[in-house]
Amino acid sequence: MKRIDNQRRQFLKDLGVGLSALPFISGLPSLQAAATNRNTFPKQRLVVMFSPNGTLPKEFWPDQFGPDTPLDLKPILEPLAPYSEQMLLLKGVNNKIRGDGDGHMRGMSCLLTATELNPGNIQGGSDSPAGWASGISIDQHVRNHFQSNAATRTRFGSLEFGVAVPNRADPWTRMCYAGDDKPVAPIDDPSQMFSKLYGGTQDREHLSSILDHVRGDLKRISKHISSEDRSLLEDHMELVRKLETDITAAKSQSELEHPEPEIDPNIELVNDNTPEVSRMQIDLLVNALANDMTRVASLQYMRSVGQARMRWLDINDGHHSLSHKPDKDLEAQEKLKRINVWFAQELAYLTKRLAETPEPGGVGGSMLDYTQIVWVNELGKGNSHTLNNIPFVFIGGGAGFKTNRALDFGGTPHNRLWLSLAHAMGDKELKTFGTERFNEGGPLNLS
Amino acid sequence: MRRALTQKRIMRRATGFTLALGASSLFLFGAETVSASSAEGTAILSQGKALYAEHCARCHGENGEGNAQEYDEPLYGDRSIKSLAGLIERTMPEDEPERVVGTDALSVATFAYHEFYSKQARESLLPKARIELSRLTVSQYRNALADLIGSFPAALSDNPSIPESEDVTPAQEIKAGFEAEYFQSKGMNKADKLRIERLDPFVDFDFGTGSPAEDITPDQFSAIWNGSLFAKKSGYYEFKVSTPNGARLYLNAENTGQRRKMRDDSSVAGQKAVIDAWVSSGKMREHTTRVFLLGGRHYPIRLEFFKYKEELSSIRFEWKPPHSPWQLVDDRYVRSKPGPRVYVAATPFPPDDRSAGYERGSSVSPGWHEAITQGALAAANEIIDRLPYLAEVREDAPDRPAKLKKFLRHFAELAFRRPLLDAERELLTQGIFQDADTADTAVRRAILFVLTSPNFLYHHPTPPPSTPPSFAIAERLALTLWDSIPDRQLVAAAKNQDLASPEALRKQIQRMVRDDRTRGKIHEFFIHWLEAEERDLSKDETLYPEFDEQTMDDLRYSLDLFIEEVVWSEQSDYRDLLLSDNLLLNGRLAKLYQPTEADTESSTGRAFQPVSLPGQRAGILTHPYLLSAFAYHDTTSPIHRGVFLTRNIMGRGLKPPPEAVAFKNDEFPDDLSMREKITRLTSDAACMTCHSVINPLGFALENFDAVGRWRDHDNEQPVDSASEYITIEGESEHFSSARDLAQYAVTSPTAHEAFITDLFRYLVKQTTDAYGRETLETLRARFTEQSFNIQKLIEEIALVSALHDAKLMHD
Repeated sequence: MKRIDNQRRQFLKDLGVGLSALPFISGLPSLQAAATNRNTFPKQRLVVMFSPNGTLPKEFWPDQFGPDTPLDLKPILEPLAPYSEQMLLLKGVNNKIRGDGDGHMRGMSCLLTATELNPGNIQGGSDSPAGWASGISIDQHVRNHFQSNAATRTRFGSLEFGVAVPNRADPWTRMCYAGDDKPVAPIDDPSQMFSKLYGGTQDREHLSSILDHVRGDLKRISKHISSEDRSLLEDHMELVRKLETDITAAKSQSELEHPEPEIDPNIELVNDNTPEVSRMQIDLLVNALANDMTRVASLQYMRSVGQARMRWLDINDGHHSLSHKPDKDLEAQEKLKRINVWFAQELAYLTKRLAETPEPGGVGGSMLDYTQIVWVNELGKGNSHTLNNIPFVFIGGGAGFKTNRALDFGGTPHNRLWLSLAHAMGDKELKTFGTERFNEGGPLNLS
Repeated sequence: MRRALTQKRIMRRATGFTLALGASSLFLFGAETVSASSAEGTAILSQGKALYAEHCARCHGENGEGNAQEYDEPLYGDRSIKSLAGLIERTMPEDEPERVVGTDALSVATFAYHEFYSKQARESLLPKARIELSRLTVSQYRNALADLIGSFPAALSDNPSIPESEDVTPAQEIKAGFEAEYFQSKGMNKADKLRIERLDPFVDFDFGTGSPAEDITPDQFSAIWNGSLFAKKSGYYEFKVSTPNGARLYLNAENTGQRRKMRDDSSVAGQKAVIDAWVSSGKMREHTTRVFLLGGRHYPIRLEFFKYKEELSSIRFEWKPPHSPWQLVDDRYVRSKPGPRVYVAATPFPPDDRSAGYERGSSVSPGWHEAITQGALAAANEIIDRLPYLAEVREDAPDRPAKLKKFLRHFAELAFRRPLLDAERELLTQGIFQDADTADTAVRRAILFVLTSPNFLYHHPTPPPSTPPSFAIAERLALTLWDSIPDRQLVAAAKNQDLASPEALRKQIQRMVRDDRTRGKIHEFFIHWLEAEERDLSKDETLYPEFDEQTMDDLRYSLDLFIEEVVWSEQSDYRDLLLSDNLLLNGRLAKLYQPTEADTESSTGRAFQPVSLPGQRAGILTHPYLLSAFAYHDTTSPIHRGVFLTRNIMGRGLKPPPEAVAFKNDEFPDDLSMREKITRLTSDAACMTCHSVINPLGFALENFDAVGRWRDHDNEQPVDSASEYITIEGESEHFSSARDLAQYAVTSPTAHEAFITDLFRYLVKQTTDAYGRETLETLRARFTEQSFNIQKLIEEIALVSALHDAKLMHD
């Protein structure tokens, strides 16, 4: 870190930008990228997307599995058809973590951690109460791996996006963990995420728009005061001039490779605005990846047991209640299908944005070729609450997995899946991930 | 003592001369009128001038300015003419002191005194003092911003008449401690049945495997502690919640009124807990957070707790105020009835200039400009986030633009402390909106403009003609008393011309003096005056094993409480500050400072009780906090104590020591008392110029050891605290104890002037002279007339600062 800071400081010095300007300029992604020598291609990125309450197996899993069978997409995955050649479906991969907490809690908090929940005080609908997960999640593991190396280190390391995540912290609302007992909260407000990413740029614009007025006031007041006092205001005027120079300098040096997306800062975070919020978050996510602010991101829709009422799909029932309805309730099945198709559409939008964006650095190909998207769910099937056969969807070329196929592992622990992902993202020394005994057999062979 | 006698002898020799002058004392002690008109005076001055030119000017310069080769220090000081004459007689000229003695010495002294030596003479050589344009100090900036944002939404009202009692909870309803509620939980409902409502002085409970009450089952229960937390000073406060169960801490959150019940899993809609330890994970945990708070303000605080099937349950809530040790958050700082959120500008600022002895906004630096820019950005974020509440406007309201403009108008008026000019109103409600994409962007830019405009950032000594005089008065009052902007009542008074009559003006001032903000500022003044900021009191642990961090913190609280009790009592008598024989002690302090009473029931409590120690203690002069602060880690330090008393209490100037001499305890024979060591150390004539004043004052406190405990012996010798103090008038005063010293100080005009000068500068951030040479004397006379009432003195100072430009009132 220190080395990079020094480089940046030298870089700024070369630009003639004084240290006093640093706070406004610091954290500008293109500066960071420009100052760091990044010749280590190919780049690898990881995006984990979560949607809750299980899938509909019949509408999701293909009829045929196998290494040589081309992928055939069922209705829920239909929106992803343009990308089927870059898709990999994994069946028979189970969340086998048991212990404290109900199925939803373990489904959510053990999904990416693959380890037990701590005993605790949060009571679910059944089973014993539980606390937070007792280990790190796979996305944060990859993040740490990237951050430990200057060639893959980024400004944020990882970004956690949320869409319609309720304002509460418990094992149903958190899937990312920095470690034992250390949940990471997603940011579900696009304007908050926007200022986290681009706050400095915006502030500079606002400031430069009012500097003339401030100068006008300084001049006006100077007329009414004694000459001794005037020197104080002259000093002030000089500082305003300097700020303006700094802003101009910062502006010309911080042109983003990919300009920041337009975000309506006033959008209310209410249920009915979820579709708009979702697109804003995806735009911000793709932009952050494109500008190399991070190489790891997660996108969490709602939460486990989420009761979103998707009125934009003409569905007035809560999602979780619907997911409990038996298979023979055809109306509920049809609604659940619509809900899951909607999630697939959002995923397709994310995929499309990545596929349309050329990989920066002139190496050819699209960003999707260097990004591994993983779509996860905390349950296999809603009404049985099973943690088996979680609908894992992999899209993109980030991990180098062999695509355009569906594999059935027949009931192996998902620890092995995360182990293979860690290896594919460069951490080849990792022996086990999460609960040790579920790593038997080592990483899954996905290449 | 010998020195005092010598001076008396000189005076006797000079008697004829003094008598000849008739109104000699007036002449000698600085009444300039006499010297100018009296023939004798003129004669003495010209004789003195001739003698000075002959014997002194070679080394000291024509006007006492000195010269680099011989003696480079300018001749000035606070000796009287008598004392100066004595010094000349004994020591000057350096090679032949016997050449200028008697009446010659006296006339040289008289000449030097009036030409350049005395304070008055020096000032007449300086350019005339004036009230300087200054920017808001850091404290003023933070307070102004807190009050500016805190005025909304109430300030949206155009109704200028405001009931005085608005928004104020009647004092009798406010209780010390947390309002606590304990619930029996039932499954997912953590607040199923309210079982206990009570006041808890602090939160430190270990329920073990049990429960808080008989009618609450031990397997599941919950509690809420609600209140208002007082932060005494500005700075970073750390908070810590320790529990094996679930807990959340909310601090300074918006009071939405929807917080009565703790719901299943999220109790306060839309608010962020500063500590979220809701999920227990089955272990004992300590959660901490660090929050910047503005001093002198109350913050809403709420702690929620629940147990669900864990084996054990306990909770402890502590904090670490700036420069204090970790301690329970207790009823000294917590009271019932939480108020509204306070906006705190946490942006770090470079410290203000204090070279003149008080903080003032006399310069601007890149660091400051960076801070006000960041401060404006942060404030704009806060306001935009809270617009629906502050501007009373919903996102989808059809009249949203109009309401936002109205908000901005009021915001700028409060920030600028005056009605807006047409051009300003036009810019804020039209121009900025035309240039911005969205109304929110316009609001953000308008706020940035207002908060970076010199109209907000500076205080104009003479406002332009466009500012109505009553607004200028309101601004000065608010800055002087609160370090902040006028509140709604004051603005209303300015609008209604209610500050025009002296009675109405005084009524406003009296209301303002009672406000918490004045109390906060006055308290800070005392800490500044007593040099009690951030002192390191720690002592040698083998010599003073009981003097631990907690004790030091208790002492500080005891000192603060004593000052508050005196200042805010009805008499508010300055003399009580110095003469009270009470010490405020809690149980822990009583064991140290009242050992004979130790182990009695009264000495074990948390509460601070006044303990009378007649004949020993003399108010702040002998408060153990200051006695410890002005002491070495293993011994007393009569010099540090003496210097403090000389400067801050007696009001005398001291020059820096001619050479730096360190006190090294082990260089003295073992059997000497501290007094004897200091006497030897400073026996050199050059030292004694100042130490003849310093030492007697320090010695008077030798009955108190390095942690401020009473002692009769020092190094196995009986303590000798008696000495002769030479007053600024050259008289000798016998002090046998700290109380004698205090008795002298409360009758000394010089001491009063020092107190008034310091208080004035702290409040107004200008010198008294800038308001006219006679100001100090006028204030001193009023102070005496009003029985040394500190509150009344504050009122007088506020009046001086508000009305310095008296023509304003008649325009």
